[in-house]
Amino acid sequence: MEKIDTEFKSDLIEIAAERYKSGRLSRRGFVSAMGALGLVPLLGDRAMAQASELVVCNWGGQASEILAELLGKAYEAETGIPVRVDGAGPSAGKVRAMVESGAVVWDVCDSGAGSAIVMNEAGVIQEIDYNIVDRNKVLKGTALPFAIGNYVFSYALSYNPTMLPGGTPRTWADVWNVEAFPGMRTFRKSVRGQLEAAALAMGVAKEDVYTFLDDEGIKAAIAKFRALRDNIIVWGSGADSQNLFLQGEVAMGNIYSTRAFLLRDQMEPGTFEMTFDGAVLQPGMWVVPKNNPAGTEAAMNFIATCQNPELQAEWFAAIGNAPINPAAAELVPAELAFLNPNSPENVAKQVIYNDEWYGKNQVSAEELYIDALIG
Amino acid sequence: MARSPLRIFFATGSWAILAFLVLPILVVIPVSLTDTAFIGLPKDHLSLQHFDTFLHSPKWLWATWTSVWIGAIVAAASTALGTAFCIGCWFLSDRAAMIARWVMIVPILVPPVVQSLGFYKFWVTLGLIDTHFGVILAHTLLALPYVTISVFAALTNLDRRIPQAARNLGAPLGMAIRTVILPSIRPGMFTGAIFAFIVSFDEIVGVLFITVRQVETLPKMIWEGIQESIDPVIAAVATILVLMTLLVTAATVARSYMSSKPKLT
Amino acid sequence: MNEKLHYWMLALPALAVMIVFYIWPVLNIWGISVTEPSTGLDNYTRMFDSNAVRVSFVLTFRIAAVTTIMCLLLGYVLAYTISNFATRVTPLMLGLVLLPFWVSVLVRSFAWIVLLGRSGLVNDALIDTGLITSPIRIMHNELGVLIAMVHVMLPFAVLPMLTNMRGIDDSYVKAARGLGASEWRAFREVYFPQTLPGVFSGGLLVFVLSLGFYITPALLGGGRVMMISEYITYQIQEFLNWGLGAALSVALLVATALVLLVAGRFVNLRKTFLERG
Repeated sequence: MEKIDTEFKSDLIEIAAERYKSGRLSRRGFVSAMGALGLVPLLGDRAMAQASELVVCNWGGQASEILAELLGKAYEAETGIPVRVDGAGPSAGKVRAMVESGAVVWDVCDSGAGSAIVMNEAGVIQEIDYNIVDRNKVLKGTALPFAIGNYVFSYALSYNPTMLPGGTPRTWADVWNVEAFPGMRTFRKSVRGQLEAAALAMGVAKEDVYTFLDDEGIKAAIAKFRALRDNIIVWGSGADSQNLFLQGEVAMGNIYSTRAFLLRDQMEPGTFEMTFDGAVLQPGMWVVPKNNPAGTEAAMNFIATCQNPELQAEWFAAIGNAPINPAAAELVPAELAFLNPNSPENVAKQVIYNDEWYGKNQVSAEELYIDALIG
Repeated sequence: MARSPLRIFFATGSWAILAFLVLPILVVIPVSLTDTAFIGLPKDHLSLQHFDTFLHSPKWLWATWTSVWIGAIVAAASTALGTAFCIGCWFLSDRAAMIARWVMIVPILVPPVVQSLGFYKFWVTLGLIDTHFGVILAHTLLALPYVTISVFAALTNLDRRIPQAARNLGAPLGMAIRTVILPSIRPGMFTGAIFAFIVSFDEIVGVLFITVRQVETLPKMIWEGIQESIDPVIAAVATILVLMTLLVTAATVARSYMSSKPKLT
Repeated sequence: MNEKLHYWMLALPALAVMIVFYIWPVLNIWGISVTEPSTGLDNYTRMFDSNAVRVSFVLTFRIAAVTTIMCLLLGYVLAYTISNFATRVTPLMLGLVLLPFWVSVLVRSFAWIVLLGRSGLVNDALIDTGLITSPIRIMHNELGVLIAMVHVMLPFAVLPMLTNMRGIDDSYVKAARGLGASEWRAFREVYFPQTLPGVFSGGLLVFVLSLGFYITPALLGGGRVMMISEYITYQIQEFLNWGLGAALSVALLVATALVLLVAGRFVNLRKTFLERG
């Protein structure tokens, strides 16, 4: 009786292990199946030593395909671990839900500095292991304890010339000039990268934007949005902003340069333009959720792989995510350099995103911003 | 009856309003047949390519199947629970039973986002986040009000003395329910089960809160599709759902024509 | 007594499940609102001090009110026609009223997006027929949200009115007509007052359900028609601000309860909610 039972159990283990390997059973499912059989102690750590796959989550669309093809394949070639990309959009809310549920399926997430801080405060992301990841292979100031820069993008003024027969906007002041440049505008449903535009529209020099945006300055910038609000449609996600341009809902707006990069290809020639003048340059961030299924090491290795300058340059050429590794700048194809938010010429035109300012002011500014836009 | 102005006003008004109710839904049909890669009317010819995409997409098919089987379990569970509840309350017919009936319909009154927030926090402690069981439980709770309303409606038409007579003749409660009550409230149970299935099949807000990646339902895929992409496959999915509804409606209307003259009840 | 116990045994499983897994978690939201991020009423002070919250609440009630009025007007016409003019098409009409009921709100929102966009079918058609020269804004604003919400809520208004109208004895109207009243006068003074319970019932149902709308405004509002439900979701999803989200939820719940309490003086709540056909 005892013997049969053991055989039966070992059979079950094999089935479960097989399923786990082929990806049909999640790690949690695997562990709980083992637990149900009273076998977790037998299992030891060995079964988990080699992760079967690494899941990277980003924001969907072409960006997911490119990530899988380029960085995913490179990582698989290095480690033998295949990479799956999930385009579900790792918002702070979803990452927290996943970690709290105990069923984490993402190993590495494409996030931003603001969300990374929010997630860190909620205690749902891991420390970056700087023994594996090189803190010198990223832009200065983007190697945080709990997140590290993955690529660079901008919030940039974009417009559809065919919807603006009277002339195209060159500056943020033009965007606020509804008489000369009629049509709907789009701005983000969050102050990130948006208040800067209002400050510039008021004639503030780009070096002084964040000093200008003290309590009084924020109020003034918010007032600008209040004045413009009847001409504003708000975008919530990058895909959202892309759709607004594709479907001709807006004539101009403040959107991610990465989405603008895609729109240049997707829209008819001559119907889409983007400028780095007065844009806000910002790093994106990798974060690793706590208890990620493939384990900390695999996730850190992936991040390290992505720091490779050649890959960084290719990534940009494919989708517009500009290299975070300064060493990659010279590898960017010359004909695309004008689209690189991180090229010296373009950096000179832009406001550099100021983490400190956001840490101090974002919460209160967000509130005023929503208040100005709704209703 | 003569053609009076009042009558003409109501009749034409009604058809206009019905057009407002029905025509917008039908717009998904031509859009689903577009030959373009974005959402819009067909440009050069009609194309079934987006239906093809749907039928060959494991993700869409899997999500559809998930919604169907979850809906079926929810329908069964909530109809069983709800029917027993209604029969109990119907026999009791006292103040406490009335309060209990009010408790059962609370999910109709609570805003979806608020209840989903409650679910989320509690499901985290129970370890039910992102599990099929978690979704089934939540949907069963949301379906129960509809089941109790329709089953109780059926019970109010039932003569109280009939099961009483059966009991007086010595039939145990279970037998009285099985042989006398259940057969006569079957239509109400059926309506309730259909409602329950639809509630679950269409439910989105709760799913957005209590699932992340392990559980994908059809509404979640549609929601993400609308927000994330311009792929006309959503129009194809919408068309399939609308056509099924049209078929069922047509069948119901046809049946009410067959069963004698236009009945008004 | 033993008998009663049996009956309770039947009712109890569902009731227990509902109380443990629904009522309890919903009541617990209050707990979140006074403990996250720190213990105290901070979230409520923040909520009451916030102009954005106030604007969102006003917006929510305004949209719910306009939706209710529109649904009652349109719904009355439908209910009257269906219950008073018995013709061959009556079952068809009823079927068509119920049809949208069975199509998910998501699918219907999608249809409205296709229709109402700047280059949507409505604008295209209006431009083609020469009625307008440049696209008009019917989406990404309050108007778009209202159109879609009326569409979703209309059947909810029709059904209670229909039930009510079917129960009205037409001999009063006939008597009034016989006494020489015009058709319009008979309708206004004799028929209409009798339909008021149905109107109130339908109105309350639509209003209460509209207060909690999330999907339609989120998809058709262009981010600027932020009703309370969307505000809550936004706070939680973007900023993990569960405390404020919970406080707002409590406020929305209390507001809904107040509406029901006040309405209970004019409307038969039992008929409206418990005994819907």
